[in-house]
Amino acid sequence: MSNAPLVRLDGITKRFGDTVALSELSLDIAEGEFVTFLGPSGCGKSTTLRILGGFEQPTNGKVLLRGEDVTRRPPEKRNVNMVFQDYALFPHMTVRQNIGFGLELKGMGKTEIRARQDEIMSFLELDAFGDRYPAQLSGGQRQRVALARALAPDPALLLLDEPLGALDAKLRGQVQQELKSIQRRTHKTFFFVTHDQEEALTMSDRIVVMNKGKVEQDGTPEELYFQPATRFVAEFIGETNLLHGELRGTEGDTAVMDWFGQTLRGTAPAGLPVAGQPVTASVRLERLGFHAARPETANAVQGRVTGKTFLGSRMALDIAVEQAQGATLRAYTDAGTGQALSGDVPVWIGWDEASMAILRD
Amino acid sequence: MNRRNRILLSCVYWAFVAYVFVPLILMVLMGFKDSKFIGFPIRSYTLDWYMGVFEDAETISAFLYSVAIAVLSTIGSIIVGTWIAVLLEGRKFWGRAVIFGMTILPALIPGIISAIAFRIYARYLGIEPGMGAIVWAHAVHNVPFVVLVVMARLSTLPKSQIEAARDLGADPLIAFLRITFPYLVPAIMGASIFCLLLSFDDFVRSFFLGGYEPTLPVLIFAKLKSGMSPEINAIATAALLLTAVIGVWAERFTRRMNKDS
Repeated sequence: MSNAPLVRLDGITKRFGDTVALSELSLDIAEGEFVTFLGPSGCGKSTTLRILGGFEQPTNGKVLLRGEDVTRRPPEKRNVNMVFQDYALFPHMTVRQNIGFGLELKGMGKTEIRARQDEIMSFLELDAFGDRYPAQLSGGQRQRVALARALAPDPALLLLDEPLGALDAKLRGQVQQELKSIQRRTHKTFFFVTHDQEEALTMSDRIVVMNKGKVEQDGTPEELYFQPATRFVAEFIGETNLLHGELRGTEGDTAVMDWFGQTLRGTAPAGLPVAGQPVTASVRLERLGFHAARPETANAVQGRVTGKTFLGSRMALDIAVEQAQGATLRAYTDAGTGQALSGDVPVWIGWDEASMAILRD
Repeated sequence: MNRRNRILLSCVYWAFVAYVFVPLILMVLMGFKDSKFIGFPIRSYTLDWYMGVFEDAETISAFLYSVAIAVLSTIGSIIVGTWIAVLLEGRKFWGRAVIFGMTILPALIPGIISAIAFRIYARYLGIEPGMGAIVWAHAVHNVPFVVLVVMARLSTLPKSQIEAARDLGADPLIAFLRITFPYLVPAIMGASIFCLLLSFDDFVRSFFLGGYEPTLPVLIFAKLKSGMSPEINAIATAALLLTAVIGVWAERFTRRMNKDS
């Protein structure tokens, strides 16, 4: 059994009446992974989470937990715990009682429960709040109590349903770091659901981007950011330049496209259209470099700066590329370089092959 | 709002207050009158009527009888009403509206009609008039109020509370007992007080279904038949005070409980 993944979703389809929330989702999750399901609302990420928790049953397909079929098992009979979006702390119980609830129902003895409560409360720095009620805690503290309560029974898999949504922006950044470090220290498998791409990029080992009940791309944060496979992923994660052109052909991992008469080279994902078809490519803003003369990079075009936006540590520049019928590119540069560039003098913009991803639609 | 409207509004308000309270004040006042005849002028005051009430075994036993009926019928209404509320709230099933309507109906049927119906049905079932019959009728009449109050509270219980309990290992029954029920306690307390007062106050059902022993309202009615006397005012005032205190306390209690959670 040691080779079996912790979780296997096998052909999961979920329909609510006529709407298909999930279609044919198959996926493995390894022990100790921090997996994030990312997507807009209605993409099926929450449904996947609820199926894993046992709150929904798939219309078709199987859920295996450590090789065991748990598809039809109710939530109380799964070794899976969840941190709810609204935390769902029990208002009539103290922090300690909230944390003890799952332990009690596991049939643990009184002293054992007490020891585990102490352990988890000191681990999450909640020692001082044991006798407080949820109403007497701040948002961040409540979030930690919810986490403590879910971790206390030592679940095989921890589900997190947008648990940072209710926190203010400043606290959120701090809690992201905390969550990641808690996950590392406990070696627990985290299944995190969010619509916030920044949150996903910061914390995850692996991100699964969902759209309309299907997986758009499944990979590390870096892969998703720099080698988006589809247009949806490129646009959903971070800011990007989308270049619309025509595919010339592929040479191994390289795809060659024509962009208003300019020949550009980028990385090619599987499933590209055949040569001659319209195609879209994505280049991140910070991957574009400015040069006085034509650079040695695989791709280079000449343009004029038409707009500057000062962003503090960096500057965003809009460049009109004359050779490409005035199509515009947007690029980040440091404030010094940005200030020195003037709209009167044409400038060379270069980027290498690995920086540009040719996309599937 | 201009000045004329403000004056008009306060006139209406004070007229309403007078309408509600003047009869009560007169009733209370007459209970202290040192004369058998109710009416002005009052020449001297006395506590004799109150003393008489507290020494009158008939009144005391009627009072205790009413309290016992109120407590028993309330327990019945709460059990049945909470049960129905839990079954109806947040569920969609065929015929739910009909069931809900039938649940609420006893509160809307005129007292005299339901009393007669109960009387006929009790005889048909062979139930003797008396305490059991009254408790039964009061319990049925009060169920709708329990259902409405408990359902209102239940509808504000986040679904995630139950899911969290289930997630942590509670089966549906444990989740109900440990999460749902504690959440409902303020509503159940409020509904209980309301049922107690409704039952204590009821005349028609108690009159039709009673045996030889009178409840307090029935006793007052019987005494009235033999002529108005300040004694009745004294009994009524004592009852008024008791119900007002319980009612105000219950209102504050439920409000505080609701704020806590």
